Amino acid sequence: MSAPVAVYEPFRAGLPPLGAYLRALWARRSFIAEFSRSELREQNYGSVFGQLWLVLNPLLLSGVYFLLIYIIGGQSDSTRYGHLTASLFLFYLVSNSLTGGVKSITAGQRLILNTAFPRIMLPISAMVIALFKFVPTLAVFFVMRTFLGLTYSWQMFWAIPVILVALLMGLGMAILISCINVYFRDIASFLPYMTRSLLYLSPILYQASDLSNKLKSFEIANPIFYLLDAWSQVMVYAQSPDLFSLLHSLVWALAIFIIGTYFFLSRERDFAVRL
Amino acid sequence: MISLSASNSQNSTHAAHALAVSVQNVGLTYTTSIDKRPTLKARLKSLGRGKKHTKVINALSEVNFDVHYGTVLGVIGSNGAGKSSLMRVISGIIPPSEGRVEVHGSVSTLLALGVGFNPSMTGRANVYLGGLAAGMSRAEIDQQFEEIVDFSELGDAIDAPMRTYSSGMYARLAFSVAATVQPDILIVDEALSTGDAHFKEKSLNRIKELRTADRALILVSHAMATIEDVCNEVAWLHKGKLIARGNPAEVIKQYREFTNTGKSSAANEDV
Repeated sequence: MSAPVAVYEPFRAGLPPLGAYLRALWARRSFIAEFSRSELREQNYGSVFGQLWLVLNPLLLSGVYFLLIYIIGGQSDSTRYGHLTASLFLFYLVSNSLTGGVKSITAGQRLILNTAFPRIMLPISAMVIALFKFVPTLAVFFVMRTFLGLTYSWQMFWAIPVILVALLMGLGMAILISCINVYFRDIASFLPYMTRSLLYLSPILYQASDLSNKLKSFEIANPIFYLLDAWSQVMVYAQSPDLFSLLHSLVWALAIFIIGTYFFLSRERDFAVRL
Repeated sequence: MISLSASNSQNSTHAAHALAVSVQNVGLTYTTSIDKRPTLKARLKSLGRGKKHTKVINALSEVNFDVHYGTVLGVIGSNGAGKSSLMRVISGIIPPSEGRVEVHGSVSTLLALGVGFNPSMTGRANVYLGGLAAGMSRAEIDQQFEEIVDFSELGDAIDAPMRTYSSGMYARLAFSVAATVQPDILIVDEALSTGDAHFKEKSLNRIKELRTADRALILVSHAMATIEDVCNEVAWLHKGKLIARGNPAEVIKQYREFTNTGKSSAANEDV
């Protein structure tokens, strides 16, 4: 008789064996792909424009916000419009991870009560869905910035590390909030207000340089402020981002990811009895 | 981790009477919230009032038993006896708080809820997602998908969102998935009593087909007649403790005497 295939022993606080966990996660990567695909298909199934809606929705939003800043602020230069659109698109990458992630565990109840698998798959899927929604908007933005007459430069390759940081941030947030929602179910209803505040506190409707230094020093507490600033420098102005902006967002992203993942992994064996 | 992908390669390797599942001194105590839907609001409102938000549940204590290949073990007991908790511990869904569980082989579980974790997706998508989450590969699911749909008798409904399914359709699909993947160890928790008489009989026959020497089956049911008919061993759980284990007729008799239900028709109705 071969050695035991699986041994289940008492719950210990702290992390599960990470090697085995990661292997189990890797073995189920096709779940994440399949789940994201089905979810996207299902979300846009009934609407007139179908998948096109993924592009139309953020485009309409940027149009509405542009109208808003044009009427209120009287600013109408093309750079401003480019900044608004680019920033809004990246903001939606992060906020879609959050809104998709928040209920990923509670909605996966049936699966969690019935199957043993690394639970972190569910919030990861939420981030992947947000990424799938982001990619077409990126293409739209490149078309738009050509029309707006914004210049291109090699410095724009800085967009890659900025996107990676944004993905890490979105993933960390999805993992953290999905776990919190198991214990406090009203977080999901509170979330729209949180993301709305984040939208106004971040340099989207305005530019980071518009803020006074005093106000800016408060923004250190905003995880995505400097991320969006770096993104705008790269995508709109085709410059390399400030080192500070990049580092600030990286530190925040890492902190949220590490804290969220630790919290999640040390709690996930508890989920089946909490749902 | 449970891996169904190992099932094909291992199916033939388990000798009859080899150990399939070993439950050693297992205890399960867990803390859960009292509210069905715990909220931050409720927590803040009761700040400083010393109100309790969580309760500790002793689901299992000192449970010991082995299941060998070739065995069909029936698990009986009243509601809240810990049957489902025990099945979840064996499947690796909830870790035990004491003792040790060894599982020698691939496990397929059909616990009370079955497949269908996202009701707005189609039955097809849910079957694939359930299988992938359990560690099967897409090719393995492709291979068995036709058989699953055939057995479930769902027809075209497999491509309709699962929220449109009746509870019977739900149960039929869940049973079909679990009974088709041909695991080494199949755990069925109260899933035989769903569906109409026709499907009930069909699933019972399927269970009987699955009773081979290189497979272990664990059935949880309140249907004593079914248990007596299908199983060759019965374990009786009461309040988290294993009260008796052995010959089906004897253990069921003890259980009936204990609960005083005798063979009254009402208790025996749901088979």
